Amino acid sequence: MSSVEFKGVSKAFGRTVAVEQTDLVVQQGEFFSMLGPSGCGKSTTLRMLAGFLTPTTGRILVNGRDITDLPPEARGIGIVFQNYAIFPHMNVYDNIAFGLVERRQDKATIRRKVEAALEQVGLTGYGERFERELSGGQKQRVALARVLVIEPEILLLDEPLSALDKKMREEMKFWIKDIQKSIGITTVYVTHDQSEALTMSDRIAVMNEGRMLQVGTPVDIYEKPASRFIAEFIGDSNLLDVTVVKSNGTRCDVDLGDGLIVPAHVSDTVRLTPGSSAGLLIRPEMLRLAPALKGEGPRLTGKVVDRVYQGALRRYHVAAGRHELVVEVPNRPELSPLSPGAEVQLFWSEESGVAVP
Amino acid sequence: MGRKIPLPMLIMAILGFCYMLVPIVIVVLAGLTAGEFLTFPPEGLSLRWVIAFLQSEKYLSAFFFSFRLALMTMIVATIIGTAAALFLSRTRFIGRGAMRAFFLSPVVLPGVVIGFALFAFYISTGIGLTRTIWGLWIGHILYSTPYVIGTVGAALASYDVSLDEAARSLGASPMRTFRKVTLPNISQGIQAGSIFAFIVSFGQFEVSLFLSAPNSEPLPIAMYNSLRYKFDPSAAAAGIFAIMLVTASVLLTNRLVNIRRLLDRN
Repeated sequence: MSSVEFKGVSKAFGRTVAVEQTDLVVQQGEFFSMLGPSGCGKSTTLRMLAGFLTPTTGRILVNGRDITDLPPEARGIGIVFQNYAIFPHMNVYDNIAFGLVERRQDKATIRRKVEAALEQVGLTGYGERFERELSGGQKQRVALARVLVIEPEILLLDEPLSALDKKMREEMKFWIKDIQKSIGITTVYVTHDQSEALTMSDRIAVMNEGRMLQVGTPVDIYEKPASRFIAEFIGDSNLLDVTVVKSNGTRCDVDLGDGLIVPAHVSDTVRLTPGSSAGLLIRPEMLRLAPALKGEGPRLTGKVVDRVYQGALRRYHVAAGRHELVVEVPNRPELSPLSPGAEVQLFWSEESGVAVP
Repeated sequence: MGRKIPLPMLIMAILGFCYMLVPIVIVVLAGLTAGEFLTFPPEGLSLRWVIAFLQSEKYLSAFFFSFRLALMTMIVATIIGTAAALFLSRTRFIGRGAMRAFFLSPVVLPGVVIGFALFAFYISTGIGLTRTIWGLWIGHILYSTPYVIGTVGAALASYDVSLDEAARSLGASPMRTFRKVTLPNISQGIQAGSIFAFIVSFGQFEVSLFLSAPNSEPLPIAMYNSLRYKFDPSAAAAGIFAIMLVTASVLLTNRLVNIRRLLDRN
């Protein structure tokens, strides 16, 4: 069942188009992320859904109901802001009770629900505290409790982790995902951090310059990106300039130059025409290095240019003809380090090469 | 704590304080003179001129007239100024900067110009405001409102709009959001602005000079008029009371603001 539906929604500010015509369906209970660099239109899209902005064209439906013309207070959508927006003049209890008070619920019910919400987010006994007495992670929990207590139909999260330090961010990622799963609430998550999107989402929409470039599962997005932009934005990437030789649905052959032709995969949303130039994406962790010729599959011959020790792995920069590639090798004793200048063979399996337009 | 202030800066600060405080000290001491005339240093100390002020029908009525005028001015200036500051900070349109400058212009325009302009306006239009308390009130509001716009505008500039958005999406109407979220968080700016408006109106001279009605003079005009005919220390005594009132109102607001904070905690 669809929970959120965008039908031809666009937003322009004067002459600047912030979001181009977008059609989108988010399923009931889905964790849906909008991922992109700042200014890509993800926040604008979220703000239209929350009701803070009116779309220039199109309609927005929530559970089949057209909410395009409803003010934010009539939408039943909860939002957690980047800076949490905890009311500084109220204590935690009153913050969480705010939505219930606005709904004219009686005092006893409010007390019961607020206490339950505090317990749900692990802040029992924090009711008397004020915003300035809370840590970043605690503010985050209060903001989430304040929203969940009104039992919204949709939960919106606007970069909720970006104000936290790295360790806390890792912790909250799983915590938010757990809560979301346990109550099964449809969630739209906005972030510029690809690792957050990949870890938490059921599906991701990658956005740039007001357009949704690709919508798919984290695996789709990471392993079968539909464009160079997506390939480079998500994860580390080697993108080699190639020419398409043969194209056949989701498979194709590409020319790496000097007549070296290798097979590659293509996202099913993409059509490549033979003769056109394209990029061949090979993730650094998909490449294997060997000093001598062995094994099967596509390969390149090159020379180690640089080696960087990163603890869990070693990163090699390898020059192979006109291409330069980054290779990540797990730091294991049987894989003895190669020195700069060493002649190497680069292997990858056929499935891990993806051609992108 | 324990931070050492560089000596040159300390000297500058002390000089600055002296520059601002010496005239006040002079007025207070002159008002406490035992002599016949307004002199400094005073010829001995006594309360005779303070008592003279308290027994003077003219000064007392001027003092209370100024107090009422400042209070009424403060109320209207606070409402108009807050509304104007909200409008200026919450809307985006071409000419907003110009409008802001226009709203704030009474601060930079000499009071004489405003007073005279209003005086000429009242007379030439014949709308019956010339030298009436209503006309004077309007002049004071015009002169005081920019101070409210300034302080409330500053409070709004640092106000996080997502607080309002959070309140809205939690179910509060725009009016409820303003009352329950915006207002409590900019109240310090509003209180500071209204105190400014009160003080500015209470001490206003030039605008009052053009607009005040003959039988209801504000205190500064009464002091000026009395000094024109005799160099009487009771004017300085009146000044003592004016200084006391202003100081009290500042202290009182400070106290009120703190009490509000305490109330919010519980």
